[in-house]
Amino acid sequence: MRRRLGEALLGAAVVCLALLLRYGATTVAAEPSLDITEPYASPLELLLSPDGSRLYVLCQGTGEVRVLEAASGRELQAIPVGRSPRGFFFSPDGRRLFVANSWDDSVTVIDTKSSAVTATWKAGFEPSSVVEDGAGKTLFVADRIGNDITVLDAATGAEKETLEAGRGASYLAMTADGRRLYATHVYPNPTPHRTPPESEITVIDPVRAQVIDRLKLESIAGAFHVALSRDGRLGVVAELHPKNLVPLAHVEHGWAFVDTLTIFGADVSSEPGRTVEVPLDELDRYYARPFGVAIAPDKSRIYVTHGGSDVVTVIDTRRMLAYVHAHREPFAEDLSASAHYVVARIAVGKNPRGVVLSRDGARFYVANRLDDTISAIDTRTNRVTQTIRLRGPEKVSALRRGEQTFYSAQYAFQGEFGCANCHIDSTFDGLQWDLEPDGFGRDIVANRLIEDLRGTEPFKWNGKNPTLAVECGVRTEMYFWRSQNYDDLRLADLVLYIRSLPSRPNRFRAADGELTSAQERGRAIFNRTVDKLGQPIPQGNQCAYCHSGPKGTNQKSFDVGTKKPTDNSGLLDTPQLMSVALTAPYLHDGSAATLEEIWTVYNPHDQHGRTNDLTKDELNDLIEYLRTR
Amino acid sequence: MTRRAAIASAVCGAVCVMVAQQARTTVRGLPVSKVQNALPAVIFTAAPVYESLAGLHGKERFPRGAQLMVLRAGRAEPLVPGLAESADASVSFDGKAVLFAGKKQAGDLWGIWTIALGGGEPQHVLAGATDLIRPMWMPGGRIVYARRGPEGFALETAAVDGVGSEVQKLSFLPGNFIPDDVLRDGRVLFESGFPLGAGAIPEMFLVYADGSGVESVRCDHPAGRGQDTGREHGRQMASGDIVFTHGSRLARFTSALADEAPVAAPAGDYAGDAAELPDGRWVVSVREPGEKRDALAVWKPGTAAMKMMAWDGERDLVEPVVVAARTVPNRHPSGLHDWTTGNLLALNARLSRSGMLNAAPATVRVETRGDKGRAVVLGTAPVEKDGSFFVQAKGDEPLRFVLLDAQGRTVREEHGWFWVRSGEQRICVGCHTGPERAPDNRVPEVLLRTTTPVDVTGAGGTVGAGGR
Repeated sequence: MRRRLGEALLGAAVVCLALLLRYGATTVAAEPSLDITEPYASPLELLLSPDGSRLYVLCQGTGEVRVLEAASGRELQAIPVGRSPRGFFFSPDGRRLFVANSWDDSVTVIDTKSSAVTATWKAGFEPSSVVEDGAGKTLFVADRIGNDITVLDAATGAEKETLEAGRGASYLAMTADGRRLYATHVYPNPTPHRTPPESEITVIDPVRAQVIDRLKLESIAGAFHVALSRDGRLGVVAELHPKNLVPLAHVEHGWAFVDTLTIFGADVSSEPGRTVEVPLDELDRYYARPFGVAIAPDKSRIYVTHGGSDVVTVIDTRRMLAYVHAHREPFAEDLSASAHYVVARIAVGKNPRGVVLSRDGARFYVANRLDDTISAIDTRTNRVTQTIRLRGPEKVSALRRGEQTFYSAQYAFQGEFGCANCHIDSTFDGLQWDLEPDGFGRDIVANRLIEDLRGTEPFKWNGKNPTLAVECGVRTEMYFWRSQNYDDLRLADLVLYIRSLPSRPNRFRAADGELTSAQERGRAIFNRTVDKLGQPIPQGNQCAYCHSGPKGTNQKSFDVGTKKPTDNSGLLDTPQLMSVALTAPYLHDGSAATLEEIWTVYNPHDQHGRTNDLTKDELNDLIEYLRTR
Repeated sequence: MTRRAAIASAVCGAVCVMVAQQARTTVRGLPVSKVQNALPAVIFTAAPVYESLAGLHGKERFPRGAQLMVLRAGRAEPLVPGLAESADASVSFDGKAVLFAGKKQAGDLWGIWTIALGGGEPQHVLAGATDLIRPMWMPGGRIVYARRGPEGFALETAAVDGVGSEVQKLSFLPGNFIPDDVLRDGRVLFESGFPLGAGAIPEMFLVYADGSGVESVRCDHPAGRGQDTGREHGRQMASGDIVFTHGSRLARFTSALADEAPVAAPAGDYAGDAAELPDGRWVVSVREPGEKRDALAVWKPGTAAMKMMAWDGERDLVEPVVVAARTVPNRHPSGLHDWTTGNLLALNARLSRSGMLNAAPATVRVETRGDKGRAVVLGTAPVEKDGSFFVQAKGDEPLRFVLLDAQGRTVREEHGWFWVRSGEQRICVGCHTGPERAPDNRVPEVLLRTTTPVDVTGAGGTVGAGGR
C-alpha cells in the first residue's frame, strides 16, 4: 500500500510538473519534450488525386490539407482549412476538394488546380464527412452532434435541407452510380435502459435527397467508415461491438468488446436490407477499433485499419462471403470465425485511421494519426513498402505520448480495448456499463464526457477517485485492463493529455454569449431560490447550488433520490454540465433517456431540484438553458 | 508410464554430451559443432531416464537422476557441477540467471535454485518438506513451480527476493498440476489430467497468477484412451502460438483457431518444451526414427529437415532453453476481493460447444469433491429461462455444475472439476462453450431478477458476500 501511495504521489508530482511546464512560462529542451509548440500533423484521412499522382492528406492537428507527391511522399503544398477537419472528398470531376471542418461547422471548398480555397460554407453541428453527388449538384455533409445530414447546393453552398440521420452521423459513402448514399454513426441510437445498443446505416437517395431506409446495426455502438464496392453490390462498415450489459468481470474471450464489420448488399443476401456482422478478432488477440475500410477495385480484398492495435487487416472477400453464406445463424461472437477469411495482419504506425487504394488496386496508403506517418503497402505482398514521414515535430512530447496511450489498446489484456473504446475520439460512448467491483448487476454507470475536466474532481459516480491519476491508474489496471498498466511516467502523460482536452464549441449558445429569451427564462429557473408557490427552496434543492461554478459542479456528492434498487448508495458525485446537451442518456446509470426525463420521470419528490411546480414550457426553458452550458 | 519410461537406460554415464566433434548417422549436412557454434547458448536437462508424464502421476520424471548442461561454442558442460542433480532450467528475462530444480545430494528432495550465468555458486532460493519442481520466472520477482503434496503436485508461486516468501497456491484440486510456461499475457500455462481433477489424459490449462480464471487453453480436448494421446509440455513462441507435444508429434494452439493445429515437423518422437531461437528457429528434443534417445535438434519451421545439435548415447536430452533476454510477461493485477467465497454467473447454461441443450435446465446443482472423489452436493440454484444462473460458492474448493430438469434429472454435467478463488467473481458464457465463444451483449435474466447470488457454499446459511 505504501508503495502504491508513493507511486501515486510521484505520478501526481510528474503531472504537476508537466502542467507547469506546459501552461507556465518554463520550457525544457531535454526529453521528454514539453516545449513543443508546433502542432503535430495528425493525419486522419487520405485521398488520391484522380490520376493517382498526388496523395492528399487531411491533417487534423494542423488544420491543413497537405498535398504529397504519391510516388515519393514529397510535400508539394499545404492548404489551411478549418479547425479540426475530419473528412474530405473530391468532386467527381476532380476539380474541387471539399473539407468538413468539425469544430467550425463549415465546409472548405478548394480548387485543386490552384490549391486555393474558393469558398467556406456553413454546415450543421460538427461536420465529419462530406460527399458530392455524381452530377456535381448537391453536397451531403454528415454532422456528428447534429445527428443529421446537411444537404447543400454544390454550386453556392446554400442549405437545401437537413436529413435526419442516426446519432453521431459521421461517415458517408456514395455508390459509384450515384444512386445510393450510406451514412454511419459513431454513437448508438437511443434504446431502452439496459438493452443492447443499436446503430444504423442511413440509406439516402441522393437524387431526391431523401432517407429511404435505415438498416439496423444491432448491438453496435460505434460505427466508423463505410465503403462500397465499385459494382455497388457490397457494402462494408467498420464498427465496435461492446459488451456493456454483461458484468465486466474479466476481459478474455471478448468480454469487453469485439471488433467487427457489418456487410450488406446484393453480394451478402438477396433479402433487401439484410446485414451480417463479421468478427475480426481472434481467441487470444484483438484488433481494436476498426476504423477505415477500403475494398479492392476487383473486390478480391477488403482492407481495415485498427486504430487501437496499429494494424491493418486484409480480408479475402470471396472466402468471407462463402463463410457468410454457409452460416445463416449470427456468428459475431465466434472468435474463431476470422480464421476463415482474414489472410493478413499488417503492422503499421500508431493509430492508423484513413485508408485509400490506388485506382489499380496495386497499393494502398494508411494515415497513422499519432506518429505523423503514412504507410504505403503493396497489395500483392501485403508489406509496407514505404513509410512517409510528414513535416512536423520530430520529438514526441509528453502530451503526445499521453494521447498515444489513450488511443492504444496495448495495455488491456490481450490488447482488447483502450481508453478510446469508451471515449470515442476522446468523448464518450453513450453507453452504461456494469463494472465488476460493485457486484454483478449493481451500480450500473453511464459514461461521462471527459472534456475540460479540471475543476470537476472527484471522478467516478461515487466520487471515490480524487484525481485522474487514481482514476486512470491502479483502478483501471485492476478492473478494466485486467493486465499490467502503463508505468507512472506514462500515466502522468495520459493524465496530462486528458486534462488538456478542451470543451468543444457550444452550438446552443450564441457566439456573443447572449441568451435567447427561452434560455434566459431557463437560467432564472436554474438560479431561483423561491418556487412558484413563493416557498423558499432549500439550498440543497436549488439547481445552482450543486451545479455551481463555471463547470456546473460544486464537486460534492448528494443523494438526489435517483438511487435504484441495484445501487449500493444514493450518494452520487455531482456531474459537470459542460456540453450536457450531447451526452444522453442521463443520470448516473443512464436511465433517463433525455434531459426532460430527469425531472418528469426520475424526480417525483423534488429531491433532484425543485421542478414539480414547473409547467412543461418552463421545464423546456430550463432545458434550453442547460444546453448552453 | 510412457514409452520413454520403457526405454530406461541401465547406464548413467559420466557427463559426456557428444556435441559436435563427430559425425552421426542421423546428422545430414553440416557437422553438428557448426550448427551449435552459430547459436546462443542452450541449456538442457540430460537424464538416463526421462519419464515425461511421470509428473502428471505424482511420480519422478528423472528416476535415475538428471543434470543441467549448458551448450555453448560447441561444448557442453554441466551448468551446476556442485549439485548432485539438476533439471528444469528457466532463463531469467534479462538472460543473466537460471532458475532450476536441484538437489545438493542425491538423496535430497528437489528444491529450487538459481545460478548466475556470469559465474558464481548456485543459490538455494526455495526448499520445502517435499519436492519442488519445474520452477519458472514470473514478472514482479516471483516464480511459479509445482510442489508435491499428499494429493499430488500443486501449483504455487513465491517471491524470490526473500527466501521463498509470500508463497501462494494457484491450484485447488487434488491432482497433479505441472507448470509449462508463463505466457506473455501473464497467465500460467500448466498441464494436468483431463477432465481436470478427474481424468488422466494430459491436457493444457491456464490460470492467472493469483489462481483465478482457471480454464482449458482450448476445448477440443483429446478424446483418445491412451496417455500418449494427450497434450503436454507446451511453450509459447514469439508468434504467440503455444507449441506442445500431442502424443509423439508437435502441435500448436494459435490465436485464430479454436482447435489444435498440426506442426509439419520432420518425423520423430518429440518430447515437447520446444525452445525458440532469436532467429525464429526452434531447438527441439526429438527421438528420430530408429533412435533410442532424445537428442537436441535445430529446426526451421516450414522446412523438411532438421539439424542435430547434441545427443548422448546414454542419456535423453530434454527441456532445452535458450540463453537470451526475452520479453517480460505482463504482471497480473489481482482484483480478488477480500472474501472467503466466490461468485459465479452463467449467461446461458444451455449453450455448449457440443451443441445447444434442447432440454431446458430448471436448476443447477453445485457439487464439491468429497472423500475418495465422491461428489458432495453444496446446493442448488434456479436456472432462468434464458439459461442464466448466479451462485455464491466456496472459494478455493473443487466445484462442478450439474444441470437438472424440472424433474430433477441430470440433463448435462461437468466431467471434471474447477475452482473459484476466494474473492473471485467469474462469468461463463455457457457450459463448455470454449474460449472461442464471446458473450452476447445482454443483461442475463437472473440479474434482472436479483443481484444476490444463491448461496451454494454448503453452509446452508443466507447469502453473505454476494451482491456487493
